[in-house]
Amino acid sequence: MEKNLAGDSIPRPKWRKVAYGGMQIGYDDNYTDESFLEEMVMNANVVRRDLLKVMKDSVSISQYLCIVALVVLVWVHTLESSLDENSLLLLDLSLLASGFLILLLTEEKMLSLSLLLRYLLNISFFTTGLYILAPIYQTLTRSISSDSIWAVTVSLLLLHLFLHDYSGSTIRAPGALKTPNLISCISVNASIVASVFVASRLPSRLHVFAVMLFSLQVFLFAPLVTYCIKKFNFGLHLLFSFALMGLTLYSIYALHRLFFLVFLLLVLLVNVVCPYWLIRMQEYKFEINGPWDEAKLCFDITD
Amino acid sequence: MAEPPKLRVLMVSDFFFPNFGGVENHIYYLSQCLLKLGHKVVVMTHAYGNRSGVRYMTGGLKVYYVPWRPFVMQTTFPTVYGTLPIVRTILRREKITVVHGHQAFSTLCHEALMHARTMGYKVVFTDHSLYGFADVGSIHMNKVLQFSLADIDQAICVSHTSKENTVLRSGLSPAKVFMIPNAVDTAMFKPASVRPSTDIITIVVISRLVYRKGADLLVEVIPEVCRLYPNVRFVVGGDGPKHVRLEEMREKHSLQDRVEMLGAVPHSRVRSVLVTGHIFLNSSLTEAFCIAILEAASCGLLTVSTRVGGVPEACPLHGSQVLPDDMVVLAEPDPDDMVRAIEKAISILPSINPEEMHNRMKKLYSWQDVAKRTEIVYDRALKCSNRSLLERLSRFLSCGAWAGKLFCMVMILDYLLWQLLQLLQPDEDIEEAPDIRLCHHRGVEVSEGLKEEDKVRNG
Repeated sequence: MEKNLAGDSIPRPKWRKVAYGGMQIGYDDNYTDESFLEEMVMNANVVRRDLLKVMKDSVSISQYLCIVALVVLVWVHTLESSLDENSLLLLDLSLLASGFLILLLTEEKMLSLSLLLRYLLNISFFTTGLYILAPIYQTLTRSISSDSIWAVTVSLLLLHLFLHDYSGSTIRAPGALKTPNLISCISVNASIVASVFVASRLPSRLHVFAVMLFSLQVFLFAPLVTYCIKKFNFGLHLLFSFALMGLTLYSIYALHRLFFLVFLLLVLLVNVVCPYWLIRMQEYKFEINGPWDEAKLCFDITD
Repeated sequence: MAEPPKLRVLMVSDFFFPNFGGVENHIYYLSQCLLKLGHKVVVMTHAYGNRSGVRYMTGGLKVYYVPWRPFVMQTTFPTVYGTLPIVRTILRREKITVVHGHQAFSTLCHEALMHARTMGYKVVFTDHSLYGFADVGSIHMNKVLQFSLADIDQAICVSHTSKENTVLRSGLSPAKVFMIPNAVDTAMFKPASVRPSTDIITIVVISRLVYRKGADLLVEVIPEVCRLYPNVRFVVGGDGPKHVRLEEMREKHSLQDRVEMLGAVPHSRVRSVLVTGHIFLNSSLTEAFCIAILEAASCGLLTVSTRVGGVPEACPLHGSQVLPDDMVVLAEPDPDDMVRAIEKAISILPSINPEEMHNRMKKLYSWQDVAKRTEIVYDRALKCSNRSLLERLSRFLSCGAWAGKLFCMVMILDYLLWQLLQLLQPDEDIEEAPDIRLCHHRGVEVSEGLKEEDKVRNG
């Protein structure tokens, strides 16, 4: 068909990118014009990442790893009875006070007295509730063997770390707009269940109360505190993170050499190897956009 | 006695009547027109409710409702090999020569194409939708498509944009991909005999109310247009998860008397809704080829649509140099631009003559034309040389480092299962179905046939 037309003196009409009007004269349906894939755009939205920036961002992850490692260390010391209940309670109090102080200092607007009172009231309710519930926690898993408890605790902590929201904080400052998503809520709950399991293996009610309070304080509020520090000043965030890393590494070294090595490798993996790997993989990035893409709405949908 | 059928085609898809949509319509009309051209067409789909077994439709179109339950979104559960025996039996029984699969997310279609290739049949595939490349769902879907199309004879796409998309997704050579658009049954979508008065301008929307169809755009656009034009009213047909949002919008802006919500509109009633309006509004965010626009244009409505996917190719545009008048006003998928497009449409509305538009649509699109063009594709597919299993395996191997080997394993196992089936039930033991040609139907218009079918379905 094309040959016949080429032989004619009449030049064949120009091909148009239209679907209507039947088969275009002189062109088969599988005709591929030069304009084929003309509107394809490649790698339009690719962000070129820089190694130092990725490494700096990864500090947040290793910082949280350190926090969880410190919590586990406290658990281990309590279980081994090398940390008594009074020092635990002291630790709780100092953590609470320092956390509050950091929040107060990093907040742009000063907290009013009434808000402070409300916080204190909430905290007292919370601690009282926990104190009353402590005997229940203590006997909660008596019929379950310790091995299962340790296994479940480790897997829950791994789940917690895997699903944790490293970019923000699940517990929001009052008045925050965005609600946390399901994944980070699962993460927080996993950590709380893990703390309950560990607490149920402790010798006395006061121990249970102190450890539960400690774990809840850290798992619920440490992300908020670190988030506030990071927002306030990035240098301070780095300083704080490195201090935490040093403390953690020292404490683990004192406990067990092998764990120290494993943790050191983990921190190096998170802060050096993975960022480098990510940058290396950037060159394989291949993004295709074109008229077939689903249009994006330029306004927010509020359901 | 009539001459033996020229081609024997098996259409395979999860989507067929009584379900309704673009793919279902496409298969039905294409089959009817191919039957009229003297071919034999058999449709294979999964069972719908208690509709299971073999049914006959208008013009002697034989439909196999395979007793295989739908899993999600009307597709069957992917079992890979589960459908091999029944596909083989149908292919043998009906002495099929070409297998034609429809729609990329129909699992039944992919499985049937795979088995047909194993058995050495010629296969053609029609892609009816567009896919992105970014999200997890699309990446998996595209890999499946690549597997399915790795060894296909010919492929068909419904628009040029869809062709570009399919070539990119599956890595097929563009010369193997044909562009054959959908069509519209202009006999079924006639303008109203008396045109509704233009004192009050009615804008019709008929679509499923889901995110992809741009229901959220409607929520922004409708109040704004109502504010600008006191003589405009809206008729919204369709149902879906976004129905509530539209209802909320209606209440928030007190537009209950100006925005009519019809709920789901059966296809047989679409025309009667369309002819009450002047302007058709399509707000889709993605569209391979919008049949709704064609139906509206065939009813003589001026269309305002978002500029997405294959829509710009589908109709002569406003201000196009090729044709003096216009059928579609396009807008970016953004509320402000859509309101501007509706303003423009309202301003050119007096110059629109529905009868004339209908007559033009008749010339632009017909299913007969689609069938003739598809026939050419079948002929090309039949001319493709037969390939040995080893040659075909090498094609699958080139699909990817891991995927290629996996695909090869799947194909080898399929071949072995086929050999086993041949031992258990040799080809000669499968009874061949006699060809029944309903000659008295040959003069009847396809559309009337569909109306009969509608009556049966609704009755």
